[in-house]
Amino acid sequence: MTLACAFPPRFDALAELVAFTAAAFAQEGIDDSLRTVADFALEELFTNVVKYGRTEADVQIELRAIPGGFEACLAAEGVADFDVTRAPEADVDLPLEQRRPGGLGLQLTRQMVDSIEYEYQVTQRRSRVTFRKVLA
Amino acid sequence: MLKIELGAQGAVIIEGRLDAAQAATAQAFLDGVAGTVVLDCTALEYLSSAGLGVLLKTQKRLRAASGALRLTGVNRHVHDIFRYAGFDQIFEIVPAP
Repeated sequence: MTLACAFPPRFDALAELVAFTAAAFAQEGIDDSLRTVADFALEELFTNVVKYGRTEADVQIELRAIPGGFEACLAAEGVADFDVTRAPEADVDLPLEQRRPGGLGLQLTRQMVDSIEYEYQVTQRRSRVTFRKVLA
Repeated sequence: MLKIELGAQGAVIIEGRLDAAQAATAQAFLDGVAGTVVLDCTALEYLSSAGLGVLLKTQKRLRAASGALRLTGVNRHVHDIFRYAGFDQIFEIVPAP
């Protein structure tokens, strides 16, 4: 079964998002050791919409169990086309002096999940990101 | 939720989730520390890139003044995030006592 919930594009909605993920994992019997990956990826994708999406429409999140793990989707309307799977990578080997905050969230998300896809509907200005993670 | 405070042994104790919603709280506290500071992460459950930004900003400020931020008690999730981000090269992670 797919569980879905909508969240306003604000940082203070993160607590509700975490609660939703915890409840969905429990209800669907998804291995709890995968929950930090779900929380991390959903937070990074969600805050990307909050910071750069310039939309007031609620962000739709879906979560469902798949064999050995979970699949999650995040959809946002009224946003620009920005393919999170092709965002530039930060150089993680730079010395401290040359490091700048930012740019790591999407890169780490791509590293942590098993697969991630991005879709964009131009007419609705709607983006949809789907990712999956299963136990190793 | 996030709790951050100065512990009895002089370490800064951080508990809960350091995410985008709590980053400003953590940054405000860490902006007030100086010297070489131990951050006890034993009860830090979760860290996102917003939290990495807080720690990076603090480390840069302390190092510029010949200090440092040292982490102890990091869990597997936090350690993985550090490793993916290359932060294990710019932070000293001290084994928990």
